[in-house]
Amino acid sequence: MTRRNETRRPVTPQDRGRFGGFDVLDEVDRWDEVTKREVLGRLAPGTTHKFFTSTEAHVAVALLDLLLAQDREPRIPVLPLIDVRLADGETDGWHYDDMPEDGDAWRQTLAHLDADAMAAHGCGFAELTAEQQAPLVQAVYDAEQWHGLPAKHVWSLWTRYSCTAFYSHPWAWNEIGFGGPAYPRGYKNLRIDGREGWEVPDQAPDDPVPFADRVEQAHDNHADLVGRAPDQR
Amino acid sequence: MTESVRQRNASAWLIPNDGTRTNHRLRADMHRYDDDDEVDIVVVGAGAGGSVLTQRLARAGWRVVTLDAGPFWDPDTDWVSDERGSHSLYWTEPRQIGGETPVPLGSNNSGRGVGGSMVHYAGYTPRFHPSDFHTRTADGVGADWPISYDELRPYYELIEAELPVAGQNWPWGDPHTYPQHAHPTGGNGSIFLRGAHAAGIEARVGPVAISNGRFGNRPHCIYRGFCLQGCKVNAKASPLITHIPDALAHGAEVRSGCMVSRVLVDDRTGRATGVTYLRDGVERRQRARMVAVAGYSIETPRLLLLSATKRFPAGLGNDHDQLGRYLMVQGAPQTAGRFDEEIRMYKAPPPEVSSEQFYETDPTKPYKRGWSIQTVSPLPITWAEHVVAQGHWGAVLREYMRDYVHWATLGALCEFLPRPENRVTLADEVDRHGLPVAHFAYSMCDNDKQLMTAAQKSMERILSAAGASEMMTIQRFAHLVGGARMAAKPEEGVVDANHRVFGIPNLYLTDGSVLPTQGAANPALTIMSLAARAADRLVAGARSGPEMATVD
Repeated sequence: MTRRNETRRPVTPQDRGRFGGFDVLDEVDRWDEVTKREVLGRLAPGTTHKFFTSTEAHVAVALLDLLLAQDREPRIPVLPLIDVRLADGETDGWHYDDMPEDGDAWRQTLAHLDADAMAAHGCGFAELTAEQQAPLVQAVYDAEQWHGLPAKHVWSLWTRYSCTAFYSHPWAWNEIGFGGPAYPRGYKNLRIDGREGWEVPDQAPDDPVPFADRVEQAHDNHADLVGRAPDQR
Repeated sequence: MTESVRQRNASAWLIPNDGTRTNHRLRADMHRYDDDDEVDIVVVGAGAGGSVLTQRLARAGWRVVTLDAGPFWDPDTDWVSDERGSHSLYWTEPRQIGGETPVPLGSNNSGRGVGGSMVHYAGYTPRFHPSDFHTRTADGVGADWPISYDELRPYYELIEAELPVAGQNWPWGDPHTYPQHAHPTGGNGSIFLRGAHAAGIEARVGPVAISNGRFGNRPHCIYRGFCLQGCKVNAKASPLITHIPDALAHGAEVRSGCMVSRVLVDDRTGRATGVTYLRDGVERRQRARMVAVAGYSIETPRLLLLSATKRFPAGLGNDHDQLGRYLMVQGAPQTAGRFDEEIRMYKAPPPEVSSEQFYETDPTKPYKRGWSIQTVSPLPITWAEHVVAQGHWGAVLREYMRDYVHWATLGALCEFLPRPENRVTLADEVDRHGLPVAHFAYSMCDNDKQLMTAAQKSMERILSAAGASEMMTIQRFAHLVGGARMAAKPEEGVVDANHRVFGIPNLYLTDGSVLPTQGAANPALTIMSLAARAADRLVAGARSGPEMATVD
């Protein structure tokens, strides 16, 4: 048995989530050993960088925090999860023929982002406020070409790596109500609105804030962040 | 039914009965040939095509060595019940993608190791429709196969029994039944059935190669939802458990960790003499009387290009510039709908329910051919791709992700047409062995684009009818077939109706690369059935004399 502290509360990134009390880690003893080792390893990634230089890591942390809205603790340690992947050469193999391979692409694009910050504000990207950073990042999404690279392929690189790291972490599963590893336990209650004994319902089952309004609000906040009117999104 | 399967393919009974998933004794006792032994056939790749061929020929008494670049998987120790941790299941050697609509590779459409991409396919095993074999004649698009549906049908029936396939009676194409009853549906499948019923669209549960009930020593599905990460249960069929065990029991050698670098051809005789391969960085050679390549649509053309000789300067089977061409992917838009209810689509296998109502050409529409619709159930990392594809990032991305349990997702498979410019060539870049990597160019034609739009609308219709309050669609691709297609004559393809490479009498291709069209069906069952048919032709040909490798 894995020892758990009974008073410990489930962690979600930035304490955000709609499944209060749900902790996927409560199920650890029912996971197979291989999966357990794999997933629990993400909770304690190394702190030294093997792939990124400290300059690159500085920019990357700021970019990843922004892409994933990790604006306060507790934060999922996304950068170490990406760093170890690139250090091990664990890429998807393929790359666009108009892009360098993934590791080089990360180095180049972080340098370009830092250069954009210098040009616009006279200091590095990591030194800017989120309000200053966001328009620079949104500009990459909006561009066709960015520093000689196809912008949508740059966006694809950043989001693929960042979302893969973030949503592989048990804290993110707590946030979204996902049940995590399921072997050898499986599922019994498959129907619509069916839950296992250990699953926790969405705290807003009747959607007290209609979903469309919630998204609208998030859009508005986001528009404020990137510094433009909401209807321009 | 079950006993007759056991008579011809005992794989499910060769798996342990004690809760573990691998027969280590069978692997330890596997026959081992010397590189210098001239075996009857060396098979390159132990996926859907190569494994079935191996099992059939081993049963017929052939001395078979099958080489696979990846590992010989043990589901207990190698696979995890986790999305991120399943990266090793994919072919991640370097490749370049280009064209107007580059097709990402890796996790979506490539396999690695014994079992091939069927280790992580969803599990859908529909048949092709009879019309798929003559789209040129019927619709003026695509190509006609040199074989008909009727020639493949007996092999569909055999393979469906061996996997086995579970599903409701199938009303489309050539109507047929399945050896096992349909599985119960989870939230996602229930939404599909509810919406399809309300919208007046026919849908059926299945067809999936996931055993519904115990099959031999393979246990019942536990509805874990991780089909795309490799089935640790042994419930979902892949050649690792459906054909390889029986092949080993009949004397085949499956040599893992062996990356084939070249098919050897004697320029004097014009015949294949074996292959070279890399094992632990050392180049070795396996001699063989025949060679069958089953490396799938990227690596099969690449290997034949890498095997060029003085007599075959453009690569093997490429005298008419056909090699690598007509490579196809299916347009695979996925549309998700938001429901107030909790769907929790991660529970139950992603493959649940299908509709082939839009599969055939609709003469009232401006486009030819069609699409199928199936449940897909993205896990969180893949679901994030759906959200990001809408342009969301930061707080909006997180907000949509927090709503995960309320979404149901459908996927379409659109029959994209074969085009000569969609092809594999060799790039300037080389891999860690110093071999040029594949460049895969893909561009869509107008018909392809029209199908994507129409398919999306049909999925929106179903989800709206089910009560969705909001929908989002991601444009993507699925599957690979073609690249070395089967044709009646060498000016139009790479292999003949017996899978024999034009111009090289003892070289065969037995994988998805030979498909001239793709229908709107997942290709695994068809690839296996073609390989079973090819094996029958080889065995029949061998009986008729050494120089006549196949019957005509």
